[in-house]
Amino acid sequence: MRIALGLEAAQPGLLPLLADPGLLAAIDATAELLTLADGFAQPGADGPDALLLANWLGARSRQVGILPGVAVNFLEPFHVSTGIATLDHVTEGRAGLLVQPLRGARPAQARRAIGPLPGFPEPEAAALAADTAEAIAVIRALWDSWQDDAIIRDPVSQRFVDAERLHYIRFQGQRFSVLGPSITPRPPQGQPVVAIDLQASDDPAQAAGAELVFLGAEATALAPALRGAPLVFADVLVGDSARPGLRWDGSAGQLAALGRLPGVAGLRLVPADPARDLAPLLAALPPVRPGAGSLRQRLGLPPAPNRNINVAA
Amino acid sequence: MAKKQVILGAQFPGVNNFTVWSDPAAGSQIAFSSFRHFAETVERGKFDFIFLAEGLRLREQKGRLHELDVAGRPNTLAVLTALAAVTQHVGLVGTLTTTFNEPYPLARQLATLDLLSGGRAGWNFVTSPGAFTGANFRRGDHLPHAQRYERAREFVEAARQIWRGGDFAVLSRHFDIAGRSGLGPLPQGAPVLVQAGESDAGRELAASHADVIYSRHSELEAGRAFYADVKGRLARYGRRPDALKILPGANFALGDTEAEARDKAAQIRLQQVSPRSAITFLEQVWNRDLSAYDAEGPLPAIDPDVEADALSQGRAMRYDDRLATARKWREIAERDGLSIRQLVIRVTGRKQFTGTPQAVALEIERHVQEDAADGFVLAPHLTPGGFDEFVAKVVPVLQDRGVFRRDYAASTLRGHLWAA
Repeated sequence: MRIALGLEAAQPGLLPLLADPGLLAAIDATAELLTLADGFAQPGADGPDALLLANWLGARSRQVGILPGVAVNFLEPFHVSTGIATLDHVTEGRAGLLVQPLRGARPAQARRAIGPLPGFPEPEAAALAADTAEAIAVIRALWDSWQDDAIIRDPVSQRFVDAERLHYIRFQGQRFSVLGPSITPRPPQGQPVVAIDLQASDDPAQAAGAELVFLGAEATALAPALRGAPLVFADVLVGDSARPGLRWDGSAGQLAALGRLPGVAGLRLVPADPARDLAPLLAALPPVRPGAGSLRQRLGLPPAPNRNINVAA
Repeated sequence: MAKKQVILGAQFPGVNNFTVWSDPAAGSQIAFSSFRHFAETVERGKFDFIFLAEGLRLREQKGRLHELDVAGRPNTLAVLTALAAVTQHVGLVGTLTTTFNEPYPLARQLATLDLLSGGRAGWNFVTSPGAFTGANFRRGDHLPHAQRYERAREFVEAARQIWRGGDFAVLSRHFDIAGRSGLGPLPQGAPVLVQAGESDAGRELAASHADVIYSRHSELEAGRAFYADVKGRLARYGRRPDALKILPGANFALGDTEAEARDKAAQIRLQQVSPRSAITFLEQVWNRDLSAYDAEGPLPAIDPDVEADALSQGRAMRYDDRLATARKWREIAERDGLSIRQLVIRVTGRKQFTGTPQAVALEIERHVQEDAADGFVLAPHLTPGGFDEFVAKVVPVLQDRGVFRRDYAASTLRGHLWAA
């Protein structure tokens, strides 16, 4: 059974915790991966940008996979793609992207924070879902826009890069287009792991572009419907919380039992109050296998071929 | 009177035509280990800040991706935030466009960098060429050229409101935004604002809104004139002359003797301008395919093409009067007997402090004491070890002369810049 931690970048008291080297070492030792939900335009407490917080953690951690949440509908896919690629370079292959659809009042709040802009979706469900799919497609295509061997440093031809190994992506969507190539060389994993958060009310079709799906604490019933996604994690609440859903009782036996839920490959433990719940939680978890390579390898995902290379050739 | 203190910024040599990749000592420009080595070195040298340039589309020449110079860089804010985790004092300044960002997301990211670094964030706010760079962004070519500075000014004003924390609401020509920021007040109040004002409008914007000017006027006399001009503009915004620091960009070449340093400088220039790079550079001015010309031979007799669209895209450089530039360069080449490559080496050179560590330190100090600068943004020619020798040999001379800190006295970038 795989263990993930689900944190929110805006949670009060989180930054001092993560600044503690001992706590970070405990995360490295017990969790396969960590998600950092982003509080983009959340009223009252938007908190730090999760993608940047992830890069800060990435430079100080050693093992754990890091997936920052990104509200892709309200950002530039180009900047998101280079930001995650950079996280993969900083962590030498431990990066992922948590696609974070905003729900309820939040799309309208996010839209108010960036303004009504051409090229961005209207804040209603169908437009947001369509835009999410397009944003993921662009982010992924940009990761492949540099071949792994594009940098040649060839003194004979006096060329640093080989333009034949760089690719325009020429993406044309409903509302926007992106030409490419990326400005950032291909990340070490080729394709950092793409994950998405789903709640009970979401259309499971949104998970089509993802390799990892996190099912909210009330959405466990969706698991069997997600056969297309290789890995499904179910959320388990830790600590006092009014939220309904699966809840950890503090025992290892219960974790093992929850890990046998049909269609579930792992659990994401979500502490209600990290300052109170995180340290005891980490102390109770069994250690993970150390030094198992990139995040893709740890999760048993296949290597990511580059779409621009003809494998048959 | 106490001597003026020298401010030193360290530009990471990545995607620039001064970065030499063909040298055996040249390492990766993308691996985090390179950034870490660079940052740790300049922090050991007590530099004020690290400086990253920006490029949001790969450069093109003759409709094709440019292959000769270093290409490929990380996301600026992401790598600076990663560096915040492995450094303690050095400032972290990124160049970020106001054209293809929006105020709330970018101000929030800069606030995050300031928070996670304990007050070391800086922002070189620039504008970007619309159609070329816009092809990579949702909004595309959305901004008329004439409005670029206006948007930049409104952008910075919106960012300042967001950095204060709490509710923000902006309704201006370019923005209609509102919300609430939970991050303010920030460790240093607001990230340090850097601007590369050149035109009259640019200088005015710097005088009204910036903390630092990154200037190209690095020679003593030109520097003094620029310095006096810009500092003279501050009073009308109610600012003291010291409120705006002027930092020209410069390169350096060190040797144990003057002769050795000169040889090294010449060698670096040859590495920076390969034969093909020389032809490519000339093509930017001539606006023609010159690939049939020999870089070691004379300049083309044919005139530049002033009718066609620009051959080169994605560079900061602009040559508005191609014919006059070509005429001037032919005169220089004929007078001094220069080949194409030698001419390009001559005309593309920028300020290069060349000499023994002692001489370079004295020259830097002289520019500062004579009000040609408040310091420099230095750019070495090698990644990642380009500052190793400078930190070991030049910094101690500056420290012994009492014009550069022996240790950090402050923890924020503002604290470093206004320490004295």
